[in-house]
Amino acid sequence: MRTSQKTSQRLEAARAAASTAPKPLTFWEQYKRKPQGMIGLGIVLVYVLVAIFAPIIAPYDPMNDLYLADSIAAPAWMSKLGGKYQGLPPTLRFSLGYDEWKIEKAQGVDISPWKQDTVDGIEITIPATAKEPEETTEVSEAEDNPWIGSFKWDPFGSDNDSNESMEVAPTGEALESRQDTEFNYSFNYLYKKPQTFSASFRYDIDAPSDATTLMGLELITPSGKVFSLWETRARGRVAAARALADARDLDLKTRLGISFFDEPTDVVFAEQGDYTIRLRANTESSTEPVTIRLQPVEFTVFGMVHGLLGTDHLGSDLWSQLVYGTRIALAIGLSAAFIAVVIGTSVGLVAGYLGGMVDEVLMRIVDVLLAVPTMPILIILGALFGKSIFNVVILLALFSWMGIARIVRAQTLSLKERTFVEAAKSSGAGSGYIMLSHILPNTVPLIFANLVLRIPSAILTEASLSFLGLGDPRVPTWGRILQNSRQFGGFTKMAWWWLLPPGLALTFLSLAFVFIGNSVNEILNPRHRERS
Amino acid sequence: MGFRSYLFKRLFYAIIVLFVILTFNFVLFRVMPGDPEKMIIDPNFTPEAKMELRRQYGLDDPIMTQYVNYLKSLLRFDLGLSFSTRRPVWTELKERLPNTLVLFVVTFIGTATMGISLGVYAAANRERFAERFVVGSGLFAHAVPGFFIQLLLLLLFGYYWPILPIHGTMSAPPPDGGFALFLDRLWHLILPAGSNVIIGFGSWALYTRNTMLEALSQDYIITARAKGIAKGDILYHHALRSVLPPIVTLIFMSLPGAVSGAVITESIFSWHGVGRYLLDATLKMDYPAAQGAFYLIALSVIISNLLADIAYGLVDPRIRVGAGGQG
Repeated sequence: MRTSQKTSQRLEAARAAASTAPKPLTFWEQYKRKPQGMIGLGIVLVYVLVAIFAPIIAPYDPMNDLYLADSIAAPAWMSKLGGKYQGLPPTLRFSLGYDEWKIEKAQGVDISPWKQDTVDGIEITIPATAKEPEETTEVSEAEDNPWIGSFKWDPFGSDNDSNESMEVAPTGEALESRQDTEFNYSFNYLYKKPQTFSASFRYDIDAPSDATTLMGLELITPSGKVFSLWETRARGRVAAARALADARDLDLKTRLGISFFDEPTDVVFAEQGDYTIRLRANTESSTEPVTIRLQPVEFTVFGMVHGLLGTDHLGSDLWSQLVYGTRIALAIGLSAAFIAVVIGTSVGLVAGYLGGMVDEVLMRIVDVLLAVPTMPILIILGALFGKSIFNVVILLALFSWMGIARIVRAQTLSLKERTFVEAAKSSGAGSGYIMLSHILPNTVPLIFANLVLRIPSAILTEASLSFLGLGDPRVPTWGRILQNSRQFGGFTKMAWWWLLPPGLALTFLSLAFVFIGNSVNEILNPRHRERS
Repeated sequence: MGFRSYLFKRLFYAIIVLFVILTFNFVLFRVMPGDPEKMIIDPNFTPEAKMELRRQYGLDDPIMTQYVNYLKSLLRFDLGLSFSTRRPVWTELKERLPNTLVLFVVTFIGTATMGISLGVYAAANRERFAERFVVGSGLFAHAVPGFFIQLLLLLLFGYYWPILPIHGTMSAPPPDGGFALFLDRLWHLILPAGSNVIIGFGSWALYTRNTMLEALSQDYIITARAKGIAKGDILYHHALRSVLPPIVTLIFMSLPGAVSGAVITESIFSWHGVGRYLLDATLKMDYPAAQGAFYLIALSVIISNLLADIAYGLVDPRIRVGAGGQG
């Protein structure tokens, strides 16, 4: 029969529908369908991973590794792109110990590696010259800087031979018999000139009081020009001395014969090719041998390009600062939002459930706090209580719980009229119990949505505070990077790599949380869907 | 409850808030962190001068007398002397207030014009680029740190293409002549005010669009449409008229936020205003100056809140009747 067949078909279809359809979608199933929400979640996940693995991702310590390169060095990859950053030098750092040097011993000189604690040094023992006293007085005539006295700076390298001859020991009979002991190290330099370089090492001289020790550090350019960076003429013993040549020092400028306003690197690093660092030592000692202990020579050309994102004004790695900033941002956002939600929920629950005077007083406090201009009060309180990350979190929480309190109170007002609350009340449950185990669980989704939306605003407010100079000076936050770039010349140098990364990191993080918050809100309050 | 009693309630409430903030201010700067002397008297003074100042400031009086004197002096706008300049704080604030107001008014006019017109346009042209743009810019305004946008604009137009002045309210030697000076000031306003507009218009546009859409779905609009009234007439005469009240309220409600933003904007563009004064004074530990600036800012926020309440009551009769309901 046609009719009965049809009814049975219908019944079957209805049964099938009943067996599949009625299960309501879980929150997660609904959330998965929101592309915006999933994108937000993905972004946040990336940030969380970066925060967790910060020590692996970041090559340097964000706060303590300073002078990794020149101040405001550009990202390393920009030197490959051409334009004004083409061919700028990266940081070159040599630590020259016994194994690195190519040693040219003078006759009779004994050189051996020397270890003290963690330092790998070199010990040079130079035998006595054993000259007659009258000859040493001759030496004293030429005493004034034997090397520089005969050294002519020749910036154009017109005569290489004459330079070579100058390397030979100075005038004065005492040393005539012996060559300088030379330590050479060559390196290839194929970049534009740097802005600064420095060389330093520590040394001790163990010598009789009448001995004179000569030491000098030179840089020899590919075309053979010799520049004396540092030298000393020491009498007798010298303990724990430090040799330092720095392109920023006036000392070096006068030594190179250039004016105060010129850059030493203009003359010293004008060429490309094989440079040689040369350390030389010699002594005049009439009676006893002289022992010189050299610690490794640290020679650094401060790079004008560095790492993934360059450096800040202190030569600190910006990529590391950015990566560690992720940790701080997430920690601040989560903890401030969490505290705010805890305060707001408690106040809202109590005000809504108890009502009466309690409600009135609490809500008036909420109103007053809402009327306080947040930024000015945070600035004043932040400065008064001291710039610490803990204070910032507490202050952020204290001035952002009011909205949550209002929402939770409204929800509580409607929930407390429900039958299940009535039932609990009539069976003798106390107010605290009802609030915690009957009303609170029903406000959880609402609280969650608010927690998510509070996080970005806490992060942004903290960033603004740091940017205004009220952040914790010991913590590498994104706001602080932005502040540094504003304060220490990032703008005049047009160092976009200093400004853009922390700003974009902030933007994407808060955008992600807003995406998540919006999606959660759409699921919890379907009315929103129509409006936006 | 009539409008008058609503008004009185709001006024009373504003006074309470002011009172609370002032008390808070008093407690904060005098009692909380250690010795009040350090807060009020410059530590560099000699002991005799300190004693004299203690007497002058009445620091040896009982705390209640101090409190009453403090309130009295605030009513007379006697905000004390700045540590760093030795000038009366109120005099310094008076110099800066016009700058802050000018920046605020220009920003405000720009934001409101752009936001409201875009919002209306988006509501009238649904499912087009305009609407997507408005929704996007609303999101942008909510999520992007404003000071970052300002720094970016500063870097672009102040340094990469140095076409706009990067700091101050006017050129260093101000140009002669009233009109030239006016143009110069306007020139300096472009970057701070313009960036403020870029940051702020999105939320206005989104709000306007949402209220417009809500209004457009009301019965009387459908009736009007059924009567055959032209689309433009419905939009501008019926719908827009009904959404103006909430927008007017929004205008006043946005004032406190504008004050907070002023601190950052003024410090980025070195604007000679009250917000930057507050920040500089705070960072310099110039307590009387910081306290004075905060007082002025709090006062302006409270007044604008009061104005918002009044405007709200004026445009929405339901508030007058059912006031005091759920927050």
